[in-house]
Amino acid sequence: MGFFSKFRKKSPWILHYNTGGCNGCDIEILATLAPKYDIERFGALNRGNPKQADILLVTGPVTKNCRDVLRRLYLEMPEPKVVVAMGACGHGGGVFRHLYNVENGVDNIIPVDVWIPGCAPNPRALIDGIVEAIKIWEKKSKDKEYMKNHSKEMIKNLGVNDD
Amino acid sequence: MGNKIVVPFGSQHIALPEPVSFLFDTKNEIITNVKVDVGYVHRGIEKAAITKFEFTNVSYLLTRICGFCSITHAGGYHHGIEKLLDVEAPKRAEYIRLIITELDRIHSHLLANAHVAEVAGYENLFMQGVKDREIVMDLLENITGNRIQYDIYTIGGVRRDISKETAEYIKKQLLKLKDKVLKVYDFYDTDYTFGLKTKGISYISLDDAKKYNVVGPIARASGLATDARAEFDYLPYDEVGFEIQTRTEGDVWARNIVRQMEVIHSIDLILRAIDNLPEGDIKVKYKGRPKGETFVRVEAPRGECFYYLKGNGTKVLERVRVRVPTYSNIPILKELFVGEKYSDAQPIVLSFDPCMSCTAR
Repeated sequence: MGFFSKFRKKSPWILHYNTGGCNGCDIEILATLAPKYDIERFGALNRGNPKQADILLVTGPVTKNCRDVLRRLYLEMPEPKVVVAMGACGHGGGVFRHLYNVENGVDNIIPVDVWIPGCAPNPRALIDGIVEAIKIWEKKSKDKEYMKNHSKEMIKNLGVNDD
Repeated sequence: MGNKIVVPFGSQHIALPEPVSFLFDTKNEIITNVKVDVGYVHRGIEKAAITKFEFTNVSYLLTRICGFCSITHAGGYHHGIEKLLDVEAPKRAEYIRLIITELDRIHSHLLANAHVAEVAGYENLFMQGVKDREIVMDLLENITGNRIQYDIYTIGGVRRDISKETAEYIKKQLLKLKDKVLKVYDFYDTDYTFGLKTKGISYISLDDAKKYNVVGPIARASGLATDARAEFDYLPYDEVGFEIQTRTEGDVWARNIVRQMEVIHSIDLILRAIDNLPEGDIKVKYKGRPKGETFVRVEAPRGECFYYLKGNGTKVLERVRVRVPTYSNIPILKELFVGEKYSDAQPIVLSFDPCMSCTAR
């Protein structure tokens, strides 16, 4: 365990991106940042900058316009990183599955580590998911399981070679 | 005199809960031109509503247009389909619908105001607002079983009743909330530095409001008394004594104050509705399939929402058309930016309380 891994787990910063969901999950994220649920207890802050973020919190079914933005945000984040998909429509589209402008879920675009079910998920479920994500993040940091370990298909999907 | 710089705002930004992209052309911090792209959230819901879903299920899709105003879309759809099927919901169901609709408005307005305060530099006030809002969310969870997507409407009534204990609990909590909201209202009203950041920013005159067809709290902040709750008969608002709240200043500050006034008025409406809750059933049965066409106007937290429904006697509707409040507010929003400072762009956007998932659908 390196020097940084030891202290990293105290401050997992969140990058939140809505890929075309109904806002419900995003309201719950705001509620979770606020006093009653207070996710800052775990050191988590919502930061708008992908270069500073550790956990990518994605909501929504990924519309075709948002696809490239989501892919770029994922690639711009430094390693190690964890992706959390929140809400029923992140899981394969939910009620929006197979609509003409929807990509049917987050894991068609980027690899997902933690799933938070529900429509919309309760803040308690969100906190549970973030705690789970911190554990995975710690493990990734120790094992140095970085993006080069992804399968060839996923790397092709992400379009890393084209950039 | 300075170079032209293009500053992007969105689609991913810390101040925005949803993707929308603004491209500001700036010159010495003054905005000279702006490009808006609202299409990031387009999912194709109107098409799906007439191809993939039966008329009994389509409400679950339509409520997921937007999380803030899910009850508005449920209302718009159900009041329309009840006209087509020729059923009338019982009085008690109407009152429960009114209570949930107003609770939804309170939580939406409190969050919008808190958001404006946050981007104006008052993070503590944001936390205060969201903390007060948790009381309402708790009530909604108590009544309907979910915090965001309630789905309380069914065709011909509501899904759940309000028990006596719940009614008492709602009353107690709302009185508590009213005290807290009045305190925050005082702050918005009298604080000097908050006024410096918000007063006189993005002024809309009454004539402009009429010319650009502005709706909702933005119109009412400019003195235009328009409210679908008073103009269209869909819930028993006249029985609980609804009044339109207006201001005449027409700036960011006035919009916040109007929202805060509406929150206080909504609390009063709910308290009156709970006191006069009629006895009886909460649901009636319906027969047949929707046939013919109709329209409904309902008041969303952001303004007037318009629904057009057309059925042809089969299970699937022929046309579902939604016109949402943010859509009619975007033209004037674009005009307002020109001539303002870039540092004021965020409060201006958020004082409009834009709902892009409604707009693009």
